[in-house]
Amino acid sequence: MMEKLYLIARIADTRVALRSRAINSVVTVGTPVNVPAAPPHVAGLFALRSRVFTLIDPHVVIGLPAVAVAPGQRVIVVDVADHGYALLADAIEDVCFIEAPETRVTGWLLPGWARVADAMIEHEGASLLVVDPSHFVTLPVAKAA
Amino acid sequence: MTALSHAAEDALDQVRRGNRPANAALVTAVLAIIDRLSSLCAALGSMGQEPQGDDSDVIGALAMADDRPAAEPASAESVPAPADEEVNAELQSWRSIRVPLPLLDSVMTGVTDIVLARNEFARLLRESGADASVIASFDRLSDSIAGMRQSVSQMRMQRIDKLFSPLPRIVRDLAQDFGKKVRFSSSGGEVELDREMMENIRDPLIHIVRNAIDHGIEPLDERVAAGKGVTAHIDVSARQSGNQIEIMVRDDGRGLSPEALVAKAISARVVTASEAKALTPREKLELIFRPGFSTAAKVTAVSGRGVGMDIVKANLEKIGGVVELRNEEGRGLTIVLRVPMTLTIISGLMVRAAGQYFAIPRGSVREILLEMSDSVRIDRVGGGELVTVRGEQFPLLRLEHALGSAIDASEDQDDRAIILIRPGQGHSYALSVAAIHDHEELVIKPAAPIIMATGLYAGTTLPDNGRPVLLLDVQGLLAAAGVDASEAGRSHDADAEAEAEVAAARDAAQLLLFCDVGGRMRGVRLSVIERVEEVPAAALFESAGRVQAKIGTDIFPVHAAAAPGGRDAVKLLRLHDGRSVLCYPIEAVIDIVRLPDAVQPAQAPGLIAGVVLIGGQPVELIDPFWLMAQYGAGQTAPLRRQPLCRLADDPDGWAGNFLAPILRSAGYRVIGGDEVVEGERPDVQLCLVDGPAAPVAADIPLVRLRASVAASGPDDDSIYRYDRGALLEALRVRVAGA
Repeated sequence: MMEKLYLIARIADTRVALRSRAINSVVTVGTPVNVPAAPPHVAGLFALRSRVFTLIDPHVVIGLPAVAVAPGQRVIVVDVADHGYALLADAIEDVCFIEAPETRVTGWLLPGWARVADAMIEHEGASLLVVDPSHFVTLPVAKAA
Repeated sequence: MTALSHAAEDALDQVRRGNRPANAALVTAVLAIIDRLSSLCAALGSMGQEPQGDDSDVIGALAMADDRPAAEPASAESVPAPADEEVNAELQSWRSIRVPLPLLDSVMTGVTDIVLARNEFARLLRESGADASVIASFDRLSDSIAGMRQSVSQMRMQRIDKLFSPLPRIVRDLAQDFGKKVRFSSSGGEVELDREMMENIRDPLIHIVRNAIDHGIEPLDERVAAGKGVTAHIDVSARQSGNQIEIMVRDDGRGLSPEALVAKAISARVVTASEAKALTPREKLELIFRPGFSTAAKVTAVSGRGVGMDIVKANLEKIGGVVELRNEEGRGLTIVLRVPMTLTIISGLMVRAAGQYFAIPRGSVREILLEMSDSVRIDRVGGGELVTVRGEQFPLLRLEHALGSAIDASEDQDDRAIILIRPGQGHSYALSVAAIHDHEELVIKPAAPIIMATGLYAGTTLPDNGRPVLLLDVQGLLAAAGVDASEAGRSHDADAEAEAEVAAARDAAQLLLFCDVGGRMRGVRLSVIERVEEVPAAALFESAGRVQAKIGTDIFPVHAAAAPGGRDAVKLLRLHDGRSVLCYPIEAVIDIVRLPDAVQPAQAPGLIAGVVLIGGQPVELIDPFWLMAQYGAGQTAPLRRQPLCRLADDPDGWAGNFLAPILRSAGYRVIGGDEVVEGERPDVQLCLVDGPAAPVAADIPLVRLRASVAASGPDDDSIYRYDRGALLEALRVRVAGA
């Protein structure tokens, strides 16, 4: 059943579905600590339960200008290659089972989205992109610039 | 099992009786028996019964060792080298318990969470204005949490000794197998390393040592031909160097031959002949790290284990380490493993720049200076900046520039500090930061790869306030800024100067600054202070015209005109000259600083030896020499051992009542004629001339006392019994002569 469980969130001004097994938790952050000279999509560091997480700004990954982190903003915590990351979310909408199958991405996407989207899924009369959070993290530095 | 242990016991017994020599073959055979015994014990433990099997091979080895005392490698070949796991298990089972690492990690996480919760709670308490008793008990809780955090951090650390301890055995067994003579030494075992790191280095290290014996060290005849000693030397050492732990394995074997390596690589089809031509000497050496490469002309039992240098390198890189080769062809090879101290606990200096905090490993910090300080001169040279500190020049790096941030204009320029950093041998530079905060013990964890890729950071850490802090990579900063930090050719020979500095620091006396009871700031050399004691005021009393302090069961003189009144407790500095103690009452300890060279001496000898300037303030220096002289006179110096004085006879009790107290106050122990002190001969004995003949031991120096003032004749060496000076002098002479 876990395969069918999705987190519906609004990241980088777009509603997307994230597979729940890729997600560790959803938490709120305070003010993150800035990382000078880091790639632009790194929004900072924050601590959660004595682990240090790297905050990723999906806006930059997609090619939009960076947004400031508001205190209390919700983030999606994911583990990639044994390191903890958190994706800034504009809003967390729902966690739900979606019975519809994942389908191949059809049509033209912005290059930023094309890089992170795995598939599409039909949910409550709307088509959502299924994105893999790890693609936001392992972005080649050159492309982000 | 019985047969095994008896065989070993018999053999060792013969050695003890001198019936057979203890040679290498014998030791090998006995060790083999011990290995067999431990494997039997393990089998017994797991299966509940002794496995069937023939142990005659190991026992036979013992006999063979006996038959052929001139140890030939052949006799040792029947003994299999024990698996490393067994050796380790033996050594680690000592006085410790096994705890799985995940459990340790979860304890660590738990404690860190407690710390974070405590800080949150502390903030809430402050805001709610809780009353003092609540805050006091909360502080107590805080202290114990801090203590616990420290112990938990320590729990993960292990001395690198543990890694080195199986090596002598491995070296010995392998040397036997190859018929080589190898001396093994190790140093730096006190360097501490995170357990997890240790696990990751263990196999590569053992492999490198194996390689050294197998390939590096020549057979005996080749060594002789090369003019080297027959016994080869392998040295393993560890040290902490800046951000990293460095482990060096050095052998004095044949070293690597770049040409042979290239030939081998071509025949093993690792590289083509044309590629090989283009290689630099360094790249040629590094061919040994290519997969599929093996330097041995023939595959031996050891190199056939399937672990190559490529695996060693890969293992180290997995944990962020580096392998470095220092080759001296024909004279030996040194392999250096550098492991980052991420995951380890380091002492870190917290600095501020661009409005946020960063940590710098304390180990690479040489000196900290204020930018406004007189001893610092900053010059702009061709767009760059240069700092001159006491004649020595350093390239200056502003942390904000190195990180690509703007200097925070709101920071106080007076706070800007310069940190002299020495990231490694032969390199140093000055780092300018907005302010120095403090230093803390930090648990370093690796940062995300995208952050590590900047090359500026060595990891992240979570200090008590719960805000993550980045640990700067002091070497990476240099590389990023493109500064040449090599000390070679600078205005001064920095190495010599650094050495002189270390020597000076060693010689420089430290000064304890304190506030005396009159409220004046004074100082005294730290080395004369035994400790600072806080005693209740009631422990001070006046006796025989001077103030004394009762501390524990001892009474010490106090330098004070009168016992202080009107306070509950008194702080005392205990000055110690090696023999006696003098207490000096103070108000509070202020600081410990380096004693400046320039001392303005006092006019006349007295309590104050002179005045020095500490941070612009005049500070009076106490003269411990004068102090001790004032109080030392009336004291009987406590001797190392009090001489034992025997009163041979005491018919009317005069000696016991009149003489004994004087002797005791002069530092003698006194016993009567018929008393005996267990295990000790009296050093001197006293008898009365005109008393009845006393039983006098002939071999103990004797002092005879007479009742009359005048001597009975010129050859009368007895002493008038009330002549205190002469009596004590006579005792002293005789005790010294004894």
